Amino acid sequence: MRDVAIIGVGMIPFGRRDEDSLLDMLAYASLDALDDAGMSEKGVDAVYVANMGAGILQHQTSVASALVDRLSLQPAAADTIENGPASGASAIKNGVLAVASGYYDTVLVAGGEKMREVVGWKATDFVATMTHPEVEYPYGITLPGMAGMFTRLYMEKYGLTQEQLIAVAIKNQKMGALNPYAHVNMVITREGIYESPDAAVNNPVAADPLRFYDMCPVSDGAAAVILCPLEKAREISRKIPVLIAGFGQATDTHTLQEREDPTDLKAVTLAAEQAFRMANLKPKDVDVAELHDAFTILEVAESEHVGFFKKGEGGKAAEKGETSINGKIPINVSGGLKSRGHPVGATGVAQVVEIVFQLRHELVPKRQVKDAKVGFTLNFGGFGNNVVAFVLRRSE
Amino acid sequence: MKQEIRITAYKCKACGQIHYPYHDRCLACKKRDFEQIKPEGDAHLLAYTQIFNLPWGFDVRFLVIGVVEFANGIKSMGQIQVDSLEKLKTGMSLKPYWGPVRVEAEEPVYGLVLRPS
Repeated sequence: MRDVAIIGVGMIPFGRRDEDSLLDMLAYASLDALDDAGMSEKGVDAVYVANMGAGILQHQTSVASALVDRLSLQPAAADTIENGPASGASAIKNGVLAVASGYYDTVLVAGGEKMREVVGWKATDFVATMTHPEVEYPYGITLPGMAGMFTRLYMEKYGLTQEQLIAVAIKNQKMGALNPYAHVNMVITREGIYESPDAAVNNPVAADPLRFYDMCPVSDGAAAVILCPLEKAREISRKIPVLIAGFGQATDTHTLQEREDPTDLKAVTLAAEQAFRMANLKPKDVDVAELHDAFTILEVAESEHVGFFKKGEGGKAAEKGETSINGKIPINVSGGLKSRGHPVGATGVAQVVEIVFQLRHELVPKRQVKDAKVGFTLNFGGFGNNVVAFVLRRSE
Repeated sequence: MKQEIRITAYKCKACGQIHYPYHDRCLACKKRDFEQIKPEGDAHLLAYTQIFNLPWGFDVRFLVIGVVEFANGIKSMGQIQVDSLEKLKTGMSLKPYWGPVRVEAEEPVYGLVLRPS
């Protein structure tokens, strides 16, 4: 197996992008990545496109073939990868395997989703198609609903509090306000969403006990990376290569009800363990992490399941500031999904792009984790039934 | 007329693991022979939530949804008919019914409905 590096990254600002089609967004992010890698007029051997719902939302299929055509990348091999909200990291993983095997030298991975062109209930329904079609979906359960049930169980088992979840929301929106790629650039306060008489209006219950500000926004967006063998990275690109030091992927039961302990996100633990083992590193070695905070509870639970904190300690750590940019382990310095938004096919790629920015030390001082050398990403599919993790390392 | 609860679960003949929904191989021992079983007794509430942003097919302001465990170990999701979450507590007993849970193509879709005892 060859070592694989990321030599170029691209991303467009997430949000509501009425003027752009899905293909426009994927093309803009891909062109940025090609330019970043110094490959503006070069081809690639293969293209992997992460997308969950163009067939439903845009009535469009074969998105990877369409992107190759749009970018005039023929005769590159092209595949569309669908793995729910973990599509992005799945596509990168497949790209990494293709390069590591020696079969391809240059691979473009792009992830994108356009979710804002449909009305809210349709977007909610689209995401809910991930639930079990016979024993969950008919009841009207949504992903926020799953997260609500999970949160109550977590509160009962570990004593997690609303205040701890609020700390995550405030931290991530504070950082998102500094991120030009984020959908939401609004700082929120504890008073505004929790303590004041207006808090019940500002921050209504969405999926009890979770409230509006526990949720990420529904967004449009795209992000892209260019992969190549580490040994060729310096020949192709002048950018500092970022090594894919480790990756892991694991699955769990489709329904929460069949898990022995529904608060145990086994696939998160296993994916992270695999990634750390491959990288020969430990959670304590990570300088900066992007976790899949589609709901604030997920940042807390994932921070424990990947090994940054003991079970039941993640909420307390967030409240004490240990996950802020100057804390013990900075988590979601981008603002996370909570601020960047969650165009499902794009998210896993966007997390990796953010960590590449961090490891290349390219961010503004207020968002740059000082001397960051090792980064971690976790992309969470379904309600934890398919999870992909990466450990990334700056290659000097 | 009270309708039968039309849930069929699958008990592994080799190790006794109960599956709902159906799996082609046992989650625990990977064997393929199952005995079909039906829910028995009251349902105990394992988890619940109230959701306000509803997907397609619901013309109501909110839904209360929970996961319950029947006396014989079958676990299932269901809709809970309460007007306030204050009436619910994890572990409490609920009465199960089989009733309409949503509408599709103007036809009711039936599923597990739960009410406080």
